[in-house]
Amino acid sequence: MSYPEVKTVEDLARQPAEYQEAVRKIVRSHALNELYGAQVFDEPAIGLAPTPYAKWLTCRVAMEEYAHHVRFKELADKIGVAPEEYDTRNKKPLSIFAFPLKSWEEFCVIKMVADLAEILQVEDLLHCSFVPLRNLARTTMPEEKFHAQFGLDFCTDLVKTPEGRRKVQDALERYFPGLPAFFGAAGSKNNETFRRFGLKLRKNEDMREDYLVRAQGVLEKLGLRMPEVALPEAA
Amino acid sequence: MGVLELHAAWFSALGEPLGDGEREDVAAYLAGLGLAPRLPLLAVQSWSQAAGVIRSPAGDWWQAEEAERARLEAQARLDPADAQWLALTETLHGAAAVAAARAGCADPALIRAAAGSAIYAAHQCRLACAVRKPESHPFVRKHALFAGGRWPLGVYDGRFAIY
Repeated sequence: MSYPEVKTVEDLARQPAEYQEAVRKIVRSHALNELYGAQVFDEPAIGLAPTPYAKWLTCRVAMEEYAHHVRFKELADKIGVAPEEYDTRNKKPLSIFAFPLKSWEEFCVIKMVADLAEILQVEDLLHCSFVPLRNLARTTMPEEKFHAQFGLDFCTDLVKTPEGRRKVQDALERYFPGLPAFFGAAGSKNNETFRRFGLKLRKNEDMREDYLVRAQGVLEKLGLRMPEVALPEAA
Repeated sequence: MGVLELHAAWFSALGEPLGDGEREDVAAYLAGLGLAPRLPLLAVQSWSQAAGVIRSPAGDWWQAEEAERARLEAQARLDPADAQWLALTETLHGAAAVAAARAGCADPALIRAAAGSAIYAAHQCRLACAVRKPESHPFVRKHALFAGGRWPLGVYDGRFAIY
């Protein structure tokens, strides 16, 4: 039997402590990661973009990523997450944010494959039992889809030349192997708790498998080779 | 938000003939960046023409803007995740989308690029205001063109393009 809907922040306070903490973990993670992404990838990429069109489009995308952070931060504040818990100065970033961005090609690859991974994470919240979080995911999703499409569109242009194709494949080889870990360990206790409470739908390992299939489809369309990946160890 | 106006005429005068005051704003913007103030103007007439123009490589004018932005950011740092600022960026995106729809343009990437250019200009203007630059500063003059409903596109092939 599925967990009943928790419609408001006030209702959240009446849920078991374990449920409340599980919600906080998810919201905190999104607030933090949206901010990291905007700071280390999107905003610096404005300077790497080759044309005013690409620079301004990237600027708008960066602002959308910052706005995602603010939306999750506002919910985090309402449900009792301390601000220092989603402050990028206090928290170690996920490994996918440790990549040293140096080129426009790298940024386009990141948008194409990392934002696809983000889409899967947000998809898993579209039927979340905590309705404010569900609605936030639904609000965010169209922009997440645009961001992945942005990466795909620019990569599609880049691979039209041999030099561009080489740079895109090279960026993929260096960035992609870190992505499977973004979905967390197989057999994760956190994930089991999220599913038990109807906050998330799928196991980490199932999402990762789905992601690899979808990413393969995207890369095949561009004639790119998916790099070999090492799956993270089970929890 | 200081000088930034939430209810300015964003993107509402695209393709209209330029007035003398707007030509003066263009000249002041160019001169303030150390560029020739009386460059010929390219009056862009459509979203598709604007899209073609801005897909050219960023030229010296962009580098001049970036150098000035870096000088200002050495004196003032603005928070890109400020909620009030982000609300303005949403307003700018909405205004670009409405203007594009009125002209029959439904390209979400081009609409975002237009919004992004206004956002960048607004950020530059906020920086200039934060370090108390005068109203003659090039970023304030460029922002005035945006606030008056124009989309200044930059310098391409020796001409200043404006929609």
